[in-house]
Amino acid sequence: MSQFDSDASPEALRVAVLSWLDTHWDSENRRPLTEPTYDRRHWRQQVLEAGLAVPSWPPEWFGLGMTSAQCKVIEKAFAERNAPGTGLDRYHLGAITVFKAGSDALKREMLPELLTGPICCLLYSEPNAGSDLAGIRTRAERDGEQYIINGQKVWTSNAREADYGMLLARTDWDAPKHRGITFFLFPMKQPGVEIRPINQITGESEFNEIFIENAVVPERFMIGNLNEGWGSFQTAIAYERLIMGQGITGRRRNSATRSRPPLLELAEKTHKLNDSVIRQRLAQALAYREVNNLNNERAMTEMMTKGSMSLMSLSKLAMSRIQHDEAAIATDLLGPEALLDGPDNSDAANTNFDAAKAYMNSIGGGTDQIQRNIIAEKVLGLPKEHEPDKGIAFREVKSGAGPRTAG
Amino acid sequence: MSTIQESEREEIREALVRFLRAEAGEERLREGMQRDRGYDEALWRQLADMGLLGITVSEAYGGIGGSTIDAAMVAEELGRSLLPVPFIETCVMVPSLLESGDITEETQDILSAIVRGTATIAIGGNTALAPYRDPDSTLKLNSDGSVSGEVSLVMHGAHADFLLLTFGSDAQTRCVLVSSDSGYDVDKQTANDPALRPATIKLNNTPCTALTGLRKDDLERARLRGVAALSALQAGAARAIFELTIDYLKTRYQFGRPIGSFQALKHIAADLFLEVESATSAAHAAANALASADPLAAKSVALAGFICNDAFRDVSAQAIQLHGGIAYTREHVAHLYWRRARATLSMLGDSNTHREAYLNTWEAAA
Repeated sequence: MSQFDSDASPEALRVAVLSWLDTHWDSENRRPLTEPTYDRRHWRQQVLEAGLAVPSWPPEWFGLGMTSAQCKVIEKAFAERNAPGTGLDRYHLGAITVFKAGSDALKREMLPELLTGPICCLLYSEPNAGSDLAGIRTRAERDGEQYIINGQKVWTSNAREADYGMLLARTDWDAPKHRGITFFLFPMKQPGVEIRPINQITGESEFNEIFIENAVVPERFMIGNLNEGWGSFQTAIAYERLIMGQGITGRRRNSATRSRPPLLELAEKTHKLNDSVIRQRLAQALAYREVNNLNNERAMTEMMTKGSMSLMSLSKLAMSRIQHDEAAIATDLLGPEALLDGPDNSDAANTNFDAAKAYMNSIGGGTDQIQRNIIAEKVLGLPKEHEPDKGIAFREVKSGAGPRTAG
Repeated sequence: MSTIQESEREEIREALVRFLRAEAGEERLREGMQRDRGYDEALWRQLADMGLLGITVSEAYGGIGGSTIDAAMVAEELGRSLLPVPFIETCVMVPSLLESGDITEETQDILSAIVRGTATIAIGGNTALAPYRDPDSTLKLNSDGSVSGEVSLVMHGAHADFLLLTFGSDAQTRCVLVSSDSGYDVDKQTANDPALRPATIKLNNTPCTALTGLRKDDLERARLRGVAALSALQAGAARAIFELTIDYLKTRYQFGRPIGSFQALKHIAADLFLEVESATSAAHAAANALASADPLAAKSVALAGFICNDAFRDVSAQAIQLHGGIAYTREHVAHLYWRRARATLSMLGDSNTHREAYLNTWEAAA
């Protein structure tokens, strides 16, 4: 029996969580009371055993069966004591996907491990499957009790650190594109997995290309059923977009209300705060940010009260406009100086960086155009456009290089 | 703060929605456009019977003592219906002014008459308080306390029971009340929106009552409340024409498929959806900020001022484009939304003015 009662009042729950933390966690030194230093795996193990790692999951699956409001109380209590380790049911994409879509056997075997140690990365996009993600061509071929994987993945962050990759691979080339895909929990640390960093237009290299050659994944690491991976993947991507939306809300609210906006400072510094055209553009840019925060607040309320996700989908699209607009204004404020770059020209370098980085939001995680399709179809209920590849065996579907072959 | 609870507010909204759906559909709207006032007076009295005209008036004068949130709720639904009634002037701005100034027997009577639906009030002048500011207004107060001069763009001026005339400057605004019994000339002006009735008012030593006890803050509060209600009205209207357009995209077939399946139209629809939701968020935030006496309320109102202005303009304009030929006809309702959007663009300040005010609040805060 758990010591945390899901019928308890919020205040009683808060007290119970705080008292558990006070007997397990040294909030001053940020380490478990029983250990001399912080060890992520050990601490997560303790939190997991208490049911606090994934409180919204049912008791038979490592959780406490708490509502989202109760989870908030728990997260607040952890924050009060400066303790990490709760809320994995909201943030740990790998564990969430396995929990939502995996078999009981996979959940029993892998969840305790996923929830305490390993890092997961995402093996979704491919060079020829970007916006049309279901067009993936990485192959998984059965070989006894395992699958042999061959193919190429791209735009993977944390690939080097990851122990597992959430892998989408094609298992049936004769089925239509959405119906021949299988989802795997793919072990990253093995021969045949080559990771190459991508040099991005910002100068950063957070993403990688992954070359997979004759790597293996045990059959029991399949998430959901054979050829039904697209459905499992939908679960994963929904959580990813939710997390992106929340991240955006938290970060932006701080910069919008607590300090002078950087754009206003740049306008002052470049002596253009009296230019009436610039003033109008500045006001509009600041407004887009404030309105996006207001939309996100309404989205949260609607999600809590009505379970509606429709507003949530707008934030990413809105952010693209905000970031591209702000970079354009900053460029105009700098004038000719914007042609410079490097550490000696920090305003120009920052502005040029922001102008390039804006594409991260308007392309990454689904381009603005894909996002508009999603809003129009899923939220507004407009019909899908004619799909020439619908219902056709994947090996017959046209690609830029002519019909695809199973190789 | 409002004396109305959240649950009561939803009940009021539901009753209003039912009423407007039953009594103020497009047919009734078009029929009202043929009348002197631009709307059927019976509808105004019915709104009074529902208690909605006293939504912001204190209970002491027979109102229900609601806040800007309640006023915004009513304005949002009226906006959806396009009913061209003088709600913002009569039921939001004037009660705010009358209740914050010196209370006299006359102001009490007017407040009660507003609640009962027996007094409509038009506002005109050359100050920011006039819904349609007339820079050429020649209004002046005579030494005997009467008022003379000429002012145009007075919405509902021809048929209002009282005129609230403002003059001076934004820094030093004076307000007087003129009863329609006092004798003045009216020249009706032709509006682009066939439901609206602006007028030129000509006064010659016309008796009036000066509003006293009004501080600068009181005038500003009345203006902010007006802008917040107008923003809600625009947000509601923008959403109504947006929904109508989305329905059309689903049912109109060309090339053997619904036109809403084409990405060229779908992407416009997604962008408009962002405008509509942003307008609602901004209008609600402005109403909330005023209701809770937030020190940054003026900033929220300025934000709503241009976000809602621009959203209603863009959504109603694109609605015609997305409908295609059918919306190029007078029979279709889209042009009525589009005309109303254009008519409200300069009401209580245009977008550029609101943007400048918004930036000023950022500069002052930092």
